[in-house]
Amino acid sequence: MNVLIVEDERSLAREIAAFLKSENFLCDIAFTGMDASEKIAINLYDFVLLDLGLPDYNGLDLIDEAKKNGSEASFIIITARGAVEDKVKGLNLGADDYLAKPFALIELLSRINAVARRKFRVTVQEITLGDFEMQTESRKLYCKGDEVELTKKEYDLLWYLVLNKNKVLTRHQLYEHIWGNILDDQYDSNFIDVHIKNLRKKLNAHAPTPWLETVRGVGYRVSVE
Amino acid sequence: MIKLKIKLAIFNLLSKLAFTALFLIFLPYIIERINLRQVDNDLIQKREQVISLIADVGIEPFIESDSADVFGSYNILKEEFVSLEWTDTEEDYNHIEVTERIIEGEVITYRVLNYSFLVDGQKYLLEVGKSLVSIHYARQNITRVILIFLLLIILITLLTDLQYTHLILRPLDRITGKLKGISSPSLFDRRPVKTSTKDFYRLDNALRELMDNIDSLFQKEKEITVNISHELLTPVSVLRSKLENLLLREDTDPEVSEKIEESLKTLHRLQTLVNSLLLIARIESHQYLREDDFSLNKVLKEIAAELSPIAEDKEIKIKEGYDQDLQFTKANRPLIFSMLYNVINNAVKNTPGGGEIIIRSFFQKERFNITISDNGRGMTHQQLENLFLRFKSRAGINEDGTGIGLAISKSIADFHDISVSVTSEPGKGTTFFFIFPEIS
Repeated sequence: MNVLIVEDERSLAREIAAFLKSENFLCDIAFTGMDASEKIAINLYDFVLLDLGLPDYNGLDLIDEAKKNGSEASFIIITARGAVEDKVKGLNLGADDYLAKPFALIELLSRINAVARRKFRVTVQEITLGDFEMQTESRKLYCKGDEVELTKKEYDLLWYLVLNKNKVLTRHQLYEHIWGNILDDQYDSNFIDVHIKNLRKKLNAHAPTPWLETVRGVGYRVSVE
Repeated sequence: MIKLKIKLAIFNLLSKLAFTALFLIFLPYIIERINLRQVDNDLIQKREQVISLIADVGIEPFIESDSADVFGSYNILKEEFVSLEWTDTEEDYNHIEVTERIIEGEVITYRVLNYSFLVDGQKYLLEVGKSLVSIHYARQNITRVILIFLLLIILITLLTDLQYTHLILRPLDRITGKLKGISSPSLFDRRPVKTSTKDFYRLDNALRELMDNIDSLFQKEKEITVNISHELLTPVSVLRSKLENLLLREDTDPEVSEKIEESLKTLHRLQTLVNSLLLIARIESHQYLREDDFSLNKVLKEIAAELSPIAEDKEIKIKEGYDQDLQFTKANRPLIFSMLYNVINNAVKNTPGGGEIIIRSFFQKERFNITISDNGRGMTHQQLENLFLRFKSRAGINEDGTGIGLAISKSIADFHDISVSVTSEPGKGTTFFFIFPEIS
């Protein structure tokens, strides 16, 4: 998929590009609003990652412009301003999602993927994890035909690890994704450990879970083929 | 403390009373002087009458020459008398004095005019006297009447003074009223107070200017906080992406990964700090909307459910006692959620295993209350004082947080006019009280 990164902070733009390339995206970078405006007009992008705080352009105007010109790109706003009205305005103008800086790269990826799934109506019906089977539509987990009862948070946690399978996720990245709506300073690494512990306990009652790994000193990973 | 108009009234009253007292001290003397002058004039007139009578009829009808006889005449009430006698003295008399005379065994004070004159080479002494008793009575009566009159006047002027000062001080009342109950200069009523008094006009203007200045300073400070926060978030973002990319590389050594994760943790702390500052600045500059309408008990239940896995892991019981509920209107739900979440989360963190947290909600004196108590470590007086201050670290209490969570709760509470208070005892536990504004 084609992604345009509109970000005036060059090293951040390059870092995002490097990450997305490793995830097999084709990346273009625009450091200014003018440049971005031109690139959007000429090229076909699936995604535009748009920083609203551009020195030469009101980022929101870019969305407006692109929509008027019939661009089918999905916009994901990334901004350090994080003001409520920016978010509302951006989403009203047709942006598909909104991320406040600083964000986790894997969070960006999962947002892009979520938008892509909506856009292309791709639905993953079932995911197999060892002896377990995840039904994404009904948000249920089964083991050899038996349902494993999970709380909403536990399911979300597992689902996020599965979405980013084979990647180590730090406790903070997991916390941010699941409790990100809480305006809280009290990020507690213990939070995730407790939930993983509970999750493991429930799963292990049905079958062993060698695919749910603890990476010492870093975080957790779901390893599947 | 006494109100200005009462002070003015008291001053007026005292000064009037002082003048009245002074007047009353001199009043008898003045009346006496006036009366005596009147009496003296009378006496002189009488003397003239007697003299002219003598000039008409001669001295003989009154007094025989060469006899030691004295002519005396009194009116029956002994009010006045006239006496005529002859005398040998060389001196001439023409003066008025006060003397006491015994008449028919009664001592009476008289004002007496002594006058000597010559008739046919013989000197006579004429005395015309008038009793002062009636004057004394008159003086007392007049004094009494004047006293009553003055007291009446004082009473009336006191009332009118009060009324008048109330009237002219009303703009001042309005100005002080505008200052009452505003928590921030932006809430100051900027409409000028109507007044014809220059001083009040100036005061009102000066206050308005002052408020504008403070307001713009506050605004600037908040803008600076917001701007600095933005500036800080960008480099944090760059660093974070770089570190995360490193962590995702498959060829990274596990030990290096651990170091990277530690750096990320530190970076998260910085990020959290900046975000918290931004949040507080936004709340204080009223950038959040207050248009949600929700049940507070539902929020509490949600938080309790959210934190129960952590509490269970620490073997802490969360007890919920919802006696009554409040449908909170014109509020910001995510903010209220955070406000309560921070406090309950704090309680979970500070309560040792086996402890208990009690969440209660009820109405008291028409106001909705939420209390959150734990039987955890508790806090010393010193720690309590610094509890809601930003960055006053509560050493040993909070290892993970930045120590700003309760400051956030406080600013959210202020934003919603909710009063927060805490009681705590070291070793026994802590209770937070949230008292919601009265429903109007």
